[in-house]
Amino acid sequence: MNGADLPGMLPDMLPRLWAFALRISGDRHDAEDLVQRACVRALERAHQLQPDTSPLSWMFSIVHSTWINELRARSVRKRSSMEWDDDFLENLADPLDKGPETQLMHSQIISAVERLPEAQRVVMLLVAVEGLSYQEAAEVLEVPIGTVMSRLSRARQAVGALFSTHDPKAKASVTRRDSIA
Amino acid sequence: MKTDDLLLMAYVDGELAPNECREIEEHIRACADAAEIVALLRASRLDYKQAFATQKLPPVPDSLTQKIEAMARAHSNKSAAEGANDSSIPTPVAIAAAPVRSRMRSVPTWLAAACVAGAFCGGLFLRLGPLLKTGAPGSGSAVMASAGNLSPWVATAVGYQQLYTRETLAYVEDNPHVSSKTVEDIRRDDGLALRIPDLRSAGLTFKTVQRLRFNNKPLVQIVYQPEKGPPIALCVMKDVKPDQAVAAQVVDSMHVVTWRQAELSYALIGKTEGVDLDALGKRISNREVDQLFSNATSVSMAQAG
Repeated sequence: MNGADLPGMLPDMLPRLWAFALRISGDRHDAEDLVQRACVRALERAHQLQPDTSPLSWMFSIVHSTWINELRARSVRKRSSMEWDDDFLENLADPLDKGPETQLMHSQIISAVERLPEAQRVVMLLVAVEGLSYQEAAEVLEVPIGTVMSRLSRARQAVGALFSTHDPKAKASVTRRDSIA
Repeated sequence: MKTDDLLLMAYVDGELAPNECREIEEHIRACADAAEIVALLRASRLDYKQAFATQKLPPVPDSLTQKIEAMARAHSNKSAAEGANDSSIPTPVAIAAAPVRSRMRSVPTWLAAACVAGAFCGGLFLRLGPLLKTGAPGSGSAVMASAGNLSPWVATAVGYQQLYTRETLAYVEDNPHVSSKTVEDIRRDDGLALRIPDLRSAGLTFKTVQRLRFNNKPLVQIVYQPEKGPPIALCVMKDVKPDQAVAAQVVDSMHVVTWRQAELSYALIGKTEGVDLDALGKRISNREVDQLFSNATSVSMAQAG
């Protein structure tokens, strides 16, 4: 796999890049601009994609760094998940093929991750949601692998605290109110 | 973060060898804090992937899909035409773990073309050949007063410029040597008697000059940064036709001022926020502004010294 294959792979990767961009930016217009700019940058430097690098994590890396640069350019801190677009995301799971308890659990998991501090949230998105290895996540975020593991541990302890001390059904209303939906 | 916590996470995730597990278990029995962390980490073993897979997200916008597909097609075509790698691009640098931030290099033609394809929602780009043929007859003498008469290369440049933001320029390093060399190459290799207008008097700072190609002919893009708002570009192409007066129009919310002078066609393109492009175009065409890099070689030498 190398850069010459990248153009053919981008359209297939688009849904995951879109989802990642939406989740880190919290805004669909930002996400669209972000994905487009990341793809431009990736194609421009496709020759730099190494055969031993996963094209997807390479693209995540470019999306993420593009977003960080964008935030720096705007000189604003990342908005917390509570301030996302009103009509942006719907936490409730697809009701078609899942029981209500599974749906509830899914929406609580999403909500728990979204309430994490930004650095931890991105690590969770990359490792737990996108399935990247610690090393790949470290490369995407341009931080040492130990930092990735530390953030992941803290994130998981925070999420674990939500799921170990309450009955999931009992905190449904809390989750719903705090959700970004 | 204690190393302890990382070991505990590895333990919870079943990534430790049996003897390491026994050590951790002894530690947990002796340490309430460790036991608590293990309990939290265990409780965090959830099916995140499945949960997020069912999250309802807005669908990928059609416009984005079309832009990416057009970009990919344009890049594939370019690769097929020129071979796997573009020899004009500097020696590749391993990037697997390296920062992706770097100065934007001269944008290759396929990118400019793809940007236009995107701006036109795809498809049209692939028909640029026929478009050129049908667009050409009217462009010889008619003053370009409406978007319908826009030269194909100007339309291309407008589409490209629509994707330019202040953030794009944030990655462009001010490098007089590179700009000087670029201007020198354009004058020598492309045979364009290029002037880089000094537009500081209009509040525009020169940022970069790029060699692009349209329909396999040199297209020069000179980018300026206004005090606020998106960048403004002066694009230049050789055009062996009679001079043409300055004319202004609005294309896709972009102000476009065009003229032809001494066998060069000019297009001044930008979203005007506090800059009167029409007046600026007239000042440039009347040579009322100084030029930068008037002697590229000597400037380069002077800067180097």
